[in-house]
Amino acid sequence: MSLTLERIEGLAPDQASLAAARKLLKPASWPTLAQGDGLIWGECQGSGATPYRVVVSEADAGYKCTCPSRKFPCKHTLALMWMRVDRSTAFASAAVPDWVKDWLSRRRGSSTPVKKAEGKDESKSRPSILLTEAPEAKAEADPKAEQRAAAARERNRLEREAAVIAGLDELDVWLADQMTHGVANFVAQAPQACRTIAQRLVDAKAPGLAGRLDAVPTRLFTLPGLARPSAALRELGQVHLISQAYRRRSELPELLAADARQAVGWSVTRDALLNDSAALRVAAKWRVFAVLSEAQPDRLRRVETWLWRESSADRMPAYAVLVDFVPISTGAAAGGYLVGDEIDAELNFYRSTVPLRAQISSLNRGAEQSLTPLALPLESLGASYADYEQALAQLPWLGTIPLTFRSACVRRHGEQIYIHDEQGGLSLPLDPSLATHALPLAGLDRVDGIGLWNGYEFTMAWAETPLGRWLRS
Amino acid sequence: MNLTELRAKVLPSLTTGTSRLALPADLIRPADPASDGVLALLSLVGQALRFERPSTPEAFSVEPEIRDERKIIADALRRPLVRLLGAKSATEHPARALARIFDRMRLRPHPFDLPLIDAFVRCNAEKLGPTAQHWADRQKPQDTTRSYFDPEALDDSNWTQVALRRRIAYLEQRRRDDADGARALVESNWAKEDAEARFRLLEVFETRLSLADQSFLSSLEKDRAPRVRATTAKFLARLGAGGENPALRACLERIKQGKSGLLRKRVALELELPTNVKDQAASRWVRQTFADVSLAELAGAFKITERELTEAAGKDEPLLLALALMATTERRLDLLELAVEQLPNAWEKMAESGLDTLGTMTESERQRWTETIAHPYGKGLPAVYSLWDWLHRITDAAAPFAVMSVLLKANFFAKLHEHERSGGPWFEVMAAICPPPQRQELREQIVQFDPSQTVGPLLLLDILDRMERDLAHV
Repeated sequence: MSLTLERIEGLAPDQASLAAARKLLKPASWPTLAQGDGLIWGECQGSGATPYRVVVSEADAGYKCTCPSRKFPCKHTLALMWMRVDRSTAFASAAVPDWVKDWLSRRRGSSTPVKKAEGKDESKSRPSILLTEAPEAKAEADPKAEQRAAAARERNRLEREAAVIAGLDELDVWLADQMTHGVANFVAQAPQACRTIAQRLVDAKAPGLAGRLDAVPTRLFTLPGLARPSAALRELGQVHLISQAYRRRSELPELLAADARQAVGWSVTRDALLNDSAALRVAAKWRVFAVLSEAQPDRLRRVETWLWRESSADRMPAYAVLVDFVPISTGAAAGGYLVGDEIDAELNFYRSTVPLRAQISSLNRGAEQSLTPLALPLESLGASYADYEQALAQLPWLGTIPLTFRSACVRRHGEQIYIHDEQGGLSLPLDPSLATHALPLAGLDRVDGIGLWNGYEFTMAWAETPLGRWLRS
Repeated sequence: MNLTELRAKVLPSLTTGTSRLALPADLIRPADPASDGVLALLSLVGQALRFERPSTPEAFSVEPEIRDERKIIADALRRPLVRLLGAKSATEHPARALARIFDRMRLRPHPFDLPLIDAFVRCNAEKLGPTAQHWADRQKPQDTTRSYFDPEALDDSNWTQVALRRRIAYLEQRRRDDADGARALVESNWAKEDAEARFRLLEVFETRLSLADQSFLSSLEKDRAPRVRATTAKFLARLGAGGENPALRACLERIKQGKSGLLRKRVALELELPTNVKDQAASRWVRQTFADVSLAELAGAFKITERELTEAAGKDEPLLLALALMATTERRLDLLELAVEQLPNAWEKMAESGLDTLGTMTESERQRWTETIAHPYGKGLPAVYSLWDWLHRITDAAAPFAVMSVLLKANFFAKLHEHERSGGPWFEVMAAICPPPQRQELREQIVQFDPSQTVGPLLLLDILDRMERDLAHV
């Protein structure tokens, strides 16, 4: 079982929620408490006539409660987890009820352990929409209707392709205009200029490029004034590269063409990825080394869970990122995993020349907090940066990527803090939002760790130091 | 073409605009006639810039070497501590209690937690050790900060290097043991002290003030800091060397002297308040009026002893309050007891007066002071949050065992009205002032109340207990 008191404490949104959960630990408040298939669920008698239904996946601490609380997890969820960890209350073994099945089928991320070794049919063991389909519906499928649907899908695809190309043409004109007036001028009016073209690209069904352009002003204004024109050139240059790569993707290697499609905004659904037999799959022990959360303009919160591979797997990616989107209105600011969690899982990577984003296809063991140091390679920051440059050469619009470091040090220069590799003569500026948090590291002789480099600033995530472990969050 | 060439030939045009500064014609090889090749150059420059490594500063700041001999608190305590101090609804009481215990146990927070408990560190840096002091001072100009040194034992050679609070405590002890030696120490370093330090060091002369201090005090009459000049004048007046004390004259103008008693005539004194000073403002006026007058001066003015002053005040509440305040300032707890006998609500009156410091009283003196002002209430300790809040702020010490016993035996919390209990963070202040042997009893009493109000106080009690068990590691 991966639930622990520390984990519950880490998930709790505040101290008051824990205190409120504590009051619900009495079995009398729970007419139903049951377990089965790696899940626990219960019904908690609230102030209303209908009890709240709560379900928790033990493997990854995924949860759902029917109460109207705006805290996530709510006190009912915390109480259910707490009782499970306490073992003071018995959970009856039972068949998974329909409302739990319904929740499972709608979950975006797979959490139920799927063990191929047990010879189970994957489509049956993995919760997915397919499970909710009635078998007789397949039997009654109308081939003509399917043909019509396929034709409609193809028509839509072609229409979208045409719209995207038209959008890219408009983008070229816009970029040329910016160059005519100069990036110095662009920087001054970046918010309005980017918003206009981003809206046009959304209309042209190229949301990936639109999002990238929407983010440009924020990126520029986090930098010092003198660095902005150069950063604007980098950003606009990348946009043009993507646009060109998309138009000429038939000439590109398959993986780079897939990168171009994704960068423009063609998404690959989770099901499509999991059913893609050619997708890169890596089964290993992974460690969560960073969880980043960012509110997006589209009222969604992007939650990135960064994983480091702990077990050996030759020539396979050493890291991965799981990306979840949750509505800002729900108030949830974190995914199901905490920094330090270790999971044993198989990941399916989205097709890319630099495989990074992935989905969990099967989970052999749920998340457990581990105190052991991160199994980092012995290379210095300089060597890690050279790997980044190689990756950049392969994927010119590469975004954020993990960099590891050994025997580095944190140094100050005025207000700016750097991670510095004495041997390699390399200094990366730290994300200014970490300036205060990382300050106690300044002056320590030797720091090993990992962080995220986005081409402008380094977000240190995890460091092993003579004073113990330092974590960003 | 390499990056240098791109920088020199292309960057200026793209930055200022190709309409103002055209690109060199030889560089443009349009792949698409519509784009004039400008966008291809944009991508090329953009990508070349991405391969530029970030520049390394020529020199980094040199971090000061901090010798911190304190132990870091145990890892198990770090998260609870951060959680407690970060709680939005927390009052200042848990922080005060924690700072006290950090100081007493000679522990320090983990350096990585300093940013997370920044407000706590800033308020209590002196009690948290040199690393925390350096953290709190990090934005001050370097020439205004002292060296960060906090040795276990202080002596005459190193006492100037530590935090002001420890220096005061050291000097206080030296005044008790050897008043002349202590004065010599202060004199030797006086010119290097800032205004705050000069004022607080001078206050220590309250202990064993004698004519031997007169020449040093006279040299301070023209000090730049008004507070130092005022304190100097007060001390000199007390020694009878500073001429007439204007504050004493103002007091005497308000005190009416008479005689009482049939068989033995005794001096009877009555303080007349100005007509525009009423109700709560009266206590504040008394404190301000008598702030620069000593008991000896006042007794001398009426040709009676200090002990007889209380008797002479009779039942005159304002004058008794003035005497209680003066006894507190001069650490004359024997005289305070006499005044409080006549003024059973001295606690409320002193709180009302705005008294905000017990000066250089030691911890045991502070506890005795608390016991003295709480004594008249017997088993009916006041159920007014603001009084306990003031008491903890002014004493900055645990409550005396006897006071806490009364409180626990009286089942104090159960008797509080519902609105009182939920309105004020009672449990936090009680947990903060609870002496170690009584924590378990307090825990048992408060655990039965609403967890949303008790979770913080219970956590505080746990942390205090565990810190005292010294689970720390180096």
